[in-house]
Amino acid sequence: MSAGRRRRHRQLARGLVLSLQLLAAHRLRTALSVSGLLVGVAAVIVMVAIGEGAERRVLERVQGMGTNLLVVSAAPAQRVVGRPRQVPVHTMLRAADAEAIERESTLAVAAAPAVNRSMVVRWEGVNTTTMVTGTTTRGLGIRNISAASGRVFDDEDDHERRRVALLGPTVVRSLFAAANPVGRVVRVGNVPFDVVGVTRARGVDAVGVDLDDIMLVPFETATRRLLNIPYVHTLFIQARSTADLVALEHEVREILHGRYGGRSGMLAPFVIQNQATLLRTERGAAQAMNQLVVGVALLALLAGGIGILAVMLISVRERTREIGLRRALGAKRRDIQIQFVLESAMLAAGGGLAGVIAGLAAAGGAALLGPWDLVMSWRAAALGLACSTILGLVIGALPAARAARLEPIAALRAE
Amino acid sequence: MIEVDGLTRLYRRGTLETQVLKGVSFRVRRGEFVVIMGRSGSGKSTLLNILGLLDRPDGGRYLLDGADLSGADDDARSAARNRKLGFVFQQFHLLERASALRNVTLPLLYAEQDSGDSTERAERALQAVGLTHRPRHLPSELSGGEQQRVAIARALINDPAVILADEPTGNLDAQNGREILEIFRHLVDGGRTLVLVTHDRAVAERGDRVLVLDDGRIVGEEAVPTPAAGTRSDAAGAV
Ligand SMILES: Nc1ncnc2c1ncn2[C@@H]1O[C@H](COP(=O)(O)OP(=O)(O)OP(=O)(O)O)[C@@H](O)[C@H]1O
Ligand SMILES: [Mg+2]
Repeated sequence: MSAGRRRRHRQLARGLVLSLQLLAAHRLRTALSVSGLLVGVAAVIVMVAIGEGAERRVLERVQGMGTNLLVVSAAPAQRVVGRPRQVPVHTMLRAADAEAIERESTLAVAAAPAVNRSMVVRWEGVNTTTMVTGTTTRGLGIRNISAASGRVFDDEDDHERRRVALLGPTVVRSLFAAANPVGRVVRVGNVPFDVVGVTRARGVDAVGVDLDDIMLVPFETATRRLLNIPYVHTLFIQARSTADLVALEHEVREILHGRYGGRSGMLAPFVIQNQATLLRTERGAAQAMNQLVVGVALLALLAGGIGILAVMLISVRERTREIGLRRALGAKRRDIQIQFVLESAMLAAGGGLAGVIAGLAAAGGAALLGPWDLVMSWRAAALGLACSTILGLVIGALPAARAARLEPIAALRAE
Repeated sequence: MIEVDGLTRLYRRGTLETQVLKGVSFRVRRGEFVVIMGRSGSGKSTLLNILGLLDRPDGGRYLLDGADLSGADDDARSAARNRKLGFVFQQFHLLERASALRNVTLPLLYAEQDSGDSTERAERALQAVGLTHRPRHLPSELSGGEQQRVAIARALINDPAVILADEPTGNLDAQNGREILEIFRHLVDGGRTLVLVTHDRAVAERGDRVLVLDDGRIVGEEAVPTPAAGTRSDAAGAV
């Protein structure tokens, strides 16, 4: 940096300090001028915190099920065209389909079958109804289920059709209250199950189903010893990434059509649920909220900008003699212009900063005190501050131009 | 140092025209203390503002330190005001919300040469005007005489060759007025050029030479006898 540039920077810095002093002397007016911006920025920060809180809730719920997951369910009974008879298609899917998909699909990482039935579970006279799910160890992996205490069942348990169970925290609460369930025996109907572990809590899913109200047993045990059915209710398929889901859905459809519907040219009746699609729908709502926030932010900037503009114009008029004096002492028009633009920017940045602090404090306080789920967004805070400062620079142009236009002697003589 | 030739200045407001300066010519040598006197409304301030590059003449020529600045652009005139000229006003014109020290450093914000330690320079300038004990005071906390000293220190900080003062003692009592003139005398003895406007004969007597302005022209010029001589000469020579 050249010496001249360094000198210039030092002068600017000193000028800013002086400007700050002069602004500080007009405490009330300075505070009033930035109050609009302060309130606006604070409001936007709080709204963003609310919006991000909502979005996080959605994300957490959907991610509880895995965002790179396809769920294939057999469709309910269907009427076949031509021959009016019920085909029991809901019994169509087989465990072998999961193996076939794993084998044939290029995009699937893993696939697993699952059976479900709502059943009564008992422990020493206490009953509770829960969803009993039979799946493979792969199924546990795909659905991100792990043990918080004890262990999960393994392939050998599955193979040997052992009567072992993994309980969700909700079931544990219902049956055991505070007692440790691992090692105890629960009964489903007359079938005893050894509790080998408790799953990690997963909360509720996107439609509000309690994911922890569950009893997991090995797939073979469930199908042969408990339900006695040859078919499965659902297939869980995991994609390499969320981006592959659409292609994977297509692939799975092809594979299943090949296995069931291909011969008669009929569409095989099954439903494929795509977690990414669910996520997109929920995100759409969040985006509408975002647009609202942007609208409010623009209004806030406009209102705040007008406040600062008004005060800066008054300030230029009132400080005409100061401007004349500065000119008399050697300030160029440009120096005066820069001074007022920077003062305006400082005002706006100060108002923006105060707004950010007030907004973050309000959001933080609300998150601490209330049941609200607010996320403090540093991005919104930085953006609020940057927008305020830029607004100040832009707003300052008009008062600064007026100040710079003043003739030294006329300004010095002003009342 | 200063050379003006046929300066004219016409104020126009609507159809009303006032020819304030009707051709003013004179010279001020380097290191000279020249006093401009004249009735109220004779155009003294108008003339001094033109000399100070705060106002432009309508006609005539003005050379400051050999450079003709009457046609120069605003930036060049601003730079010359900063570097070559120091102003002292009757109303002091200090920033009310800034300390004495900060008021003195104000011209350094616009200096085109490196100023070094500005506070140190301001302290030295305040020392030169005999005001060292209240650098952090606001103007409102200073007496009129002290405020004018701050203003003179401000005029001195860029070490200008020429100091222009428009009734610098007009708002001061006799004692303070004398002290301020003492400071001016000192500056001139140190080699600076001073042009001072006043109504006051007693003030004028401290100068080297008095120019009398009347109706837009210099109507008289008198050499002021040295105070040691103890006599007063009214010998006037037309320019
Ligand atoms: N901006 C202006 N517009 C119009 N007329 C002006 C303006 N400034 C000064 N005048 C007129 O020019 C004349 C000279 O003014 P100037 O201020 O130069 O007088 P002065 O000699 O300094 O007087 P004083 O001793 O009272 O300060 C006055 O008649 C004044 O009314
Ligand atoms: Mg005057």
